[in-house]
Amino acid sequence: MMLTSAMMINDAQALTVYTAGPGSLSKSLAAGFEKQTGIKVNIFQATTGKVMARLEAEQANPQADVLISASWDTAEDLQQRGWLLPFNSANAEKVPDQFKTAHYVAQGVSALGIVWNTQSNTPEPKTWQDLTAPAFKDNVTTPDPALSGASLDLLIGLQNSEGEKAWQLFDQLKANGMVMSGPNAQAVTPVLQGAKAAVFGAVDYVTYNNIAQGESVKVIFPENGTVVAPRPMMILKSSQHADDAKKFVDYVLSDEGQEQVAKAWLMPARTDINAQRPLFTEIKLLPTHQDGSSERSAVLKRFGTLFGQ
Amino acid sequence: MSRALNGLILLALLLLVALPLLFIMLQALFPHFSEGSWRDALSALPPLLNDPQLSSMWLGTLKIGGGVALGSLLLGLPLGALRGLFRLPGAALWDLLFLIPFLTPPYIVALSWTLALQRNGYIEQLTGINFDSLLFSSSGMILVMTLNIFPVVYFAVSRSLLASGQRLAWVARVHGASAWRGFWHITLPLTLPALAGGVLLAFTLAIEEYGVPAALGAQARLTLMTVGIETKLADWPIDLPGAASLSLMLSVVALTAWLLQRKLTGSSDVTAVSGKPVNQELAQAGGLQTLLLLPFALTVLLAVVLPLGAMTLSGLLNTLSGGLHLNNLTLRHFGALFSQQGDALAAFSTSIGLALGAALLTGALGFLIAWRVSEGKTRLLAMMDGLSLLPAAMPGVVIGVGLILLWNRGFWPVSPYNTIWILLLSYSCLLLPWPVRYVSSALRQLAPTLEPAARVHGASRLQALRLIVLPLVAPSLLAAMMMVFAVASRELVTSLLLAPAGTQTVAIFIWRQFEQGSVGQGMAMATVTLLASLSLMLAATTLMRRHAK
Repeated sequence: MMLTSAMMINDAQALTVYTAGPGSLSKSLAAGFEKQTGIKVNIFQATTGKVMARLEAEQANPQADVLISASWDTAEDLQQRGWLLPFNSANAEKVPDQFKTAHYVAQGVSALGIVWNTQSNTPEPKTWQDLTAPAFKDNVTTPDPALSGASLDLLIGLQNSEGEKAWQLFDQLKANGMVMSGPNAQAVTPVLQGAKAAVFGAVDYVTYNNIAQGESVKVIFPENGTVVAPRPMMILKSSQHADDAKKFVDYVLSDEGQEQVAKAWLMPARTDINAQRPLFTEIKLLPTHQDGSSERSAVLKRFGTLFGQ
Repeated sequence: MSRALNGLILLALLLLVALPLLFIMLQALFPHFSEGSWRDALSALPPLLNDPQLSSMWLGTLKIGGGVALGSLLLGLPLGALRGLFRLPGAALWDLLFLIPFLTPPYIVALSWTLALQRNGYIEQLTGINFDSLLFSSSGMILVMTLNIFPVVYFAVSRSLLASGQRLAWVARVHGASAWRGFWHITLPLTLPALAGGVLLAFTLAIEEYGVPAALGAQARLTLMTVGIETKLADWPIDLPGAASLSLMLSVVALTAWLLQRKLTGSSDVTAVSGKPVNQELAQAGGLQTLLLLPFALTVLLAVVLPLGAMTLSGLLNTLSGGLHLNNLTLRHFGALFSQQGDALAAFSTSIGLALGAALLTGALGFLIAWRVSEGKTRLLAMMDGLSLLPAAMPGVVIGVGLILLWNRGFWPVSPYNTIWILLLSYSCLLLPWPVRYVSSALRQLAPTLEPAARVHGASRLQALRLIVLPLVAPSLLAAMMMVFAVASRELVTSLLLAPAGTQTVAIFIWRQFEQGSVGQGMAMATVTLLASLSLMLAATTLMRRHAK
């Protein structure tokens, strides 16, 4: 019975959305959309990497209608491949220009910061450099930029604004015993328990959620600037349900949709929706614009050599 | 009839194993295969082979695999021998306890160990000592994986001893051999095929394990092959051909290990079950009984109580940063499981259903394959054997990608892809080697005369199979099916990749909780699921035992 009911859910009429986390947000967006339009939504939620791997493997017979990734580059790349359906949502009017193109638009935005355990007996860090102080000796983790596009954006942002000085910072962090550990959650958990005092460059919304649950950690956006990671939302050209897909994008960018985005501790893409956390207009940002993937792989390689085996 | 049966088995192996692997191979050779194009053949290989990380990845993988195989041997052989030779108080209970490591997802075990042992972890909060540097090292990784994997050796050894009995060792004793000599020259050689099979399985499980290396490897500065493969699939641009090529290399290693094992044990056929009535009398340990239990209790403490205690505790703590204080205990994570619009319950029933299906399917198919293979030495049968064991050498993520490449094609009139059946296929493919291996080693102990004897007395082939062979290998088959159930009920890697949109399994549910930073809720779900599947398996064993009487 369980098997048959699961099979019936995958009927051809439903809209299929592939999305990066948070799962609670994708679920509430799907539920809200279904309630408003009566169109059923099937969610496949995983990390950006897993979502893209599945998309790539499915090329021969694409399944997804809408894709929401956590990394702006993936959208740029898919557009260059010609996979995306151009669409300008009427609700995207209040989304700033840097977060929309003819083919994709941000669903929400996250930022990278320092996550700091307030009970760790360390001074509260104010800048990235503070983490190189003796108080943070062997006390810092960082997500692996090979597994988290947003962390890589941060490295690039720092390099673009400070040049070689950024690499001196990474050298000093390494000398101070910073360890690179897996994807975002894996870098943050040790800081929750107090095994480490701070994370260099963690995705903010996950930690805001932790704070709401009562964990004694704090998100700090360093004075010398950080980067934001807009989460591109796009419709695939191969979609058999393009009209429904457009309605879904409209819904996510509607007041109701954007409020749900804010509730998941992300920054709404629209500037006229409030959130209970700092917005990108209030955070000092580093220049991130880059000359494409060659720079990305060069930075990744150099950082990997520094912190790998 | 046997030709029809061979055909049927080959068809099943083709669909379950050969085709997904073929498609992976094509992807490795033709980088644009997933788009349906054959251009740029072989262009993915040179950059891969020039990757400076490749050799260190290999060394690390072999070191961990070898370490875990050795550790599992050192832990599993003595325990398995004690279990198989002596009348052990609460024998069934120990078996069940040793199944628990299988029921828990490796990444949860690794995370639990981390929460217990790292700086400011539970152990330090209680005693002031931490094991940070041990945990995040290759020895720590070997230790954690050994404690998770050694049961395959334990079950292989104990089941084989239980099946063969000790009649032959007693004959030796009657002729004046000491107890030790009897064990060394008679009992041990008789279990050698099972032992070698178990150790090999431990090795392949270790080199294709993803959860523990992913959780501990980064801080130990050790990238293993599986993590390397996963990384190729984790960040844009996705490197499907690279991942496929690395996986093929990994399978070559596992295949080599398998051939080696065949060569080592292949020539010595051991017949222990001759069909003469045997009284299954286990030795009485007498006054030493309590002493016998000591290693069992210690192992359970390390492999079960400690990690699972940390797991349960994490589910009970209100916040991780609050530490171990009475006023930081809460049931809210458990309560929340029941309030998520039924998600947790749905995930649970999906996983249990799939695990049951996989256990039945691989059990039936695995038994037939092992039986056919045991009957002859033709090339066809050897191929059958090899094919059925091949998935043990493939990392889950690759089987997942292979299944997508294979089934998500326009040319199939019906396809399991994007339905729940694709998960059944992937679990069955991944876990088929278990029943095959366990039943094969049991069959090798049966006298080759048993079946002909039945035939001579007028039994049909099917009757001989059902009335003679099946009952004799049933303990091994059931143990393997239990393990299939256990592993399938918590499989993560292929589930994440293949689950149809809108379907969740237990492991996916837990993983999503972690990914959102809700460690407490993930651990609560892990605890509840463990208890539930444990009770299910307990009920199943009790029922079967009652039935057997």
